[in-house]
Amino acid sequence: MRVAGSGRLRPATAEPHPVEEHPGEPALRIDDLVVEFATPAGTVRAVDHVTYQVARGETLAVVGETGSGKSVTVLAALGLLSAGNVHRVSGRAEVGGQDLLALPARERRTRLGADVAMIFQDPMSALDPVQRVGDQIAEALRAHDRALTARTARARVLELLTQVGVPQPEIRYDQYPHQFSGGMCQRVVIAMAIANRPTVLIADEPTTALDVSVQAQILELLRLAARETGAATVLITHDLGVVAEMADRAAVMYAGRIVETAPVARIFGRPQHPYTASLLASLPRLDQPRGRLRAIPGQPPDLRERSAGCAFAPRCPIGGDLPECRTERPLLVPRDDGAVACHHAGQAVTLLPQPGARPSAARPDDAPAVVEVAGLAKVFPIRRGLLARTVATARAVDGVDLRIGQGSTLGLVGESGCGKSTLARSLIRLLEPTAGSIRIDGADLLRANGRQLRRLRQRVQMVYQDPYSSLNPRLSVGDNAAEPLRLAGVPRTERRRTVLELFEKVGLRPEHADRLPAEFSGGQRQRVAIARALAPGPALVIFDEPVSALDVSVQAQVLNLLRDLQDETGVAYLFVSHDLSVVRQMADTVAVMYLGAIVETGAAGQLYRRPRHPYTRALLDSIPVPDPSVRRSRVPLTGDPPDPTAATTGCRFRSRCPLGRDRAACADRTPELRQVDGRWTACHFAEEVA
Amino acid sequence: MSAYLLRRVGQFLVVLVLASIAVWAMVYALPGDAATVLAGPDASGPQIAATRARLGLDKPVVVQYLLWVKGAVTGHLGQSFYSADSVSHTLAERIPATVQLAVLGMLLALLIAIPIGTLIALRPRSLLARLSHGYLTAGLAIPSFWLALLLIITLAVRTHALPATGDYVNFWQHPVAALRWSILPAIAVAVHGSCIIARFLATSLSEVMQRDFIRTVRAKGVRESRVVIRHAMRNAALPTVTVVGIQLGSLLGGTVVIEALFNYPGLGRLLYTSIGQRDYAVVQGGVLFVVVVFLVLNLLVDLLYAYLDPRIRLA
Repeated sequence: MRVAGSGRLRPATAEPHPVEEHPGEPALRIDDLVVEFATPAGTVRAVDHVTYQVARGETLAVVGETGSGKSVTVLAALGLLSAGNVHRVSGRAEVGGQDLLALPARERRTRLGADVAMIFQDPMSALDPVQRVGDQIAEALRAHDRALTARTARARVLELLTQVGVPQPEIRYDQYPHQFSGGMCQRVVIAMAIANRPTVLIADEPTTALDVSVQAQILELLRLAARETGAATVLITHDLGVVAEMADRAAVMYAGRIVETAPVARIFGRPQHPYTASLLASLPRLDQPRGRLRAIPGQPPDLRERSAGCAFAPRCPIGGDLPECRTERPLLVPRDDGAVACHHAGQAVTLLPQPGARPSAARPDDAPAVVEVAGLAKVFPIRRGLLARTVATARAVDGVDLRIGQGSTLGLVGESGCGKSTLARSLIRLLEPTAGSIRIDGADLLRANGRQLRRLRQRVQMVYQDPYSSLNPRLSVGDNAAEPLRLAGVPRTERRRTVLELFEKVGLRPEHADRLPAEFSGGQRQRVAIARALAPGPALVIFDEPVSALDVSVQAQVLNLLRDLQDETGVAYLFVSHDLSVVRQMADTVAVMYLGAIVETGAAGQLYRRPRHPYTRALLDSIPVPDPSVRRSRVPLTGDPPDPTAATTGCRFRSRCPLGRDRAACADRTPELRQVDGRWTACHFAEEVA
Repeated sequence: MSAYLLRRVGQFLVVLVLASIAVWAMVYALPGDAATVLAGPDASGPQIAATRARLGLDKPVVVQYLLWVKGAVTGHLGQSFYSADSVSHTLAERIPATVQLAVLGMLLALLIAIPIGTLIALRPRSLLARLSHGYLTAGLAIPSFWLALLLIITLAVRTHALPATGDYVNFWQHPVAALRWSILPAIAVAVHGSCIIARFLATSLSEVMQRDFIRTVRAKGVRESRVVIRHAMRNAALPTVTVVGIQLGSLLGGTVVIEALFNYPGLGRLLYTSIGQRDYAVVQGGVLFVVVVFLVLNLLVDLLYAYLDPRIRLA
């Protein structure tokens, strides 16, 4: 079996998306699949009678939050569940008409990687760290073709590497995964998956661990791989933007069941299940005016507690109090070009956000500054060799000026490695800046020491990305939140009172203050972290990716909470995120960072409407829009986010810039921030970006 | 790779010098003066001074150290205070015995540990794995000397299947006799070591089996045996190699109690007797040997790490 032609996978034509018929036998059919795990709390049904099918050439998106069973379904179908406590797997998983679950392990293995292949979430950990990358791809070929010689296999692998866009395949073949970037690793995993031209391709959150610009490239590659192999594709994701961009049909899962399935246009345009509609409404979006998000109340379901009724009922704005929803489980029945499991399917559309929602007013930015940063730099030495001498430096933050006014929010966006977290940490001297000045309430933070520094740190608090590791697991959540007050010498009774008030404010029950963090979900823990940050009455709270570890439905709750708290207390926010939609939802002013420097900054509305820096423009273009009618097929940025140790001359964005790659000015002069069209942009040719 | 290698060797040399100073200075930290002891209880001042001069104890400390290092490098570790033999000769007599016992013990330990560790990691719920767990618990809990006594009583005294004492017979000349004379002490030291190694292997292997890349390999349709051997074992070997190195080091340092129990003519017993006799020259030479063995093994483990893990090699 050979892939026709040996060049790269290329977009065939610029047509947006071929609408194809998918007749005949489905390539993959999951039928009445049930998966149960044995836990100390009893049997947990992670997958509850799930049925779906995909035809060749078709892409089915399976959407759901953590614990919805979307990944467990396919892992069980392929016999790849490795947990020791699998209690029951029943149903059918047919590939080309043959039930994989009925096959003995040995025979099932001959189908895996040959007829059905998988692409996994975190490409860096999906590859064996101690084996050569090329050998790992060759293994996929040789596992199914014993007669294949090492030389032929190598030639095939080089061909595959070229196809998935890995440059210099001859060199890359003999390298190890740690020498690859995340995007390159995912290309390798894709090469492995398409090596035997499978009829079914299953991608489990293939871009979740990647940067936006890389995500766009990988999605494009996946699309081409599916088209090239003609495989049926199952795309498992929590990202509705990815669904809209990639899929023909979508199946929405909740608590182990499919609650709705339909062609994507129908799912997004006329959702029939309240959960689908609520998910769409809770999403911060770039293509609609900014307004308050419609958060789904409550938490993702706890599978250990099974109710007789609809699993979504406790969070449902329609059926929450209706007796039939509480007592009778709705079955998946055909409706409106798809199927839905809801007693009140017709009403879901009303939950969608109404166009023309009142945009919330941006705050004036002439308020006195809480924080003023000038010329901030943080340089990390890179030590190598026998004597660990400094051989290079990584300029993580390279001359940043910024200002945050009282009660306003600055959004700081950029891809991984751009220095946004280093900048955030330098602002409270968790990292000691190499140069520059930081003024908090006018006081010089970098000169402060001892008591002074402690006092200033009370004014600036921080909330971290991962609420699971940012709370002390041995302290009650109340004590966790009271920590800054204890350090400030506030007496115990007063601490307690403040914390209980704060818990009320952040939507936690004060009577839970004595529980340990382990008893709380991710969203609740993040509320505890927020309470802790607000405890000393700070002037500024720094949020470092505060919602990226949370489920979509919980994310909206937290974002709304943050806005409310700001309105109430007048605290300023520095909101650091890679997610441009989330930043737009929160920020008055936005700063876009690239390789340690701010390349564009200005009022949020303006910046998002008319970006003037090619990087901002490309980032915005990379984000999949959750609207299948605006589906695009393009790769706005090539390459990986750059290595901060690489010395650059001229414009730091030059190597990836669609405008300046070949222009002398971009190579010769580093563009300074200058005022263009009402905002500051560091590009020589900002006027050309329209 | 070469930078890593050079750095490791450099560190090795620095530690070696520091350790040699410690070994040499150790004599001064011990109670009792060698010259006083050696000259006998009734010796007069001048007699003691003469002894001191003969042993070189009257020279400046730096000179004493440098002379000692020079001797150590050229294989002259001085004269035993008691016997007529040189220290090097005394050590040279005992080291092969200890090396043979250590190697045999380690091979046995690995023979037990690898299957048991793998079994526990891959089939934790099976009956055999549960039995193996019992072995690990018992093996760690039972002191080696007691196990040695049990072995002597059951296999030697009661059944006369094997000799009750160990003795050193060169394996390459008389393999069967060598095994016969050293198998009991080897088992006695292997059991404890096998339990520690098996635990490490089981823990790291079962951790590796849960890693994402194992699922990727399985999804390729690769045979399970290959998944385990080529992918999981290679990754799980890293932490295990460290324990094996440490274990082997302590075996090569001489297992004092076991050698004493079996009356085995190894380094451990030599050191034990020499300490009792305050034969500092022999103690010093023996400890120096043990320290060097440990350092060399450490270096080898680090190099093996680099071989096994490209992230270290190519960093």
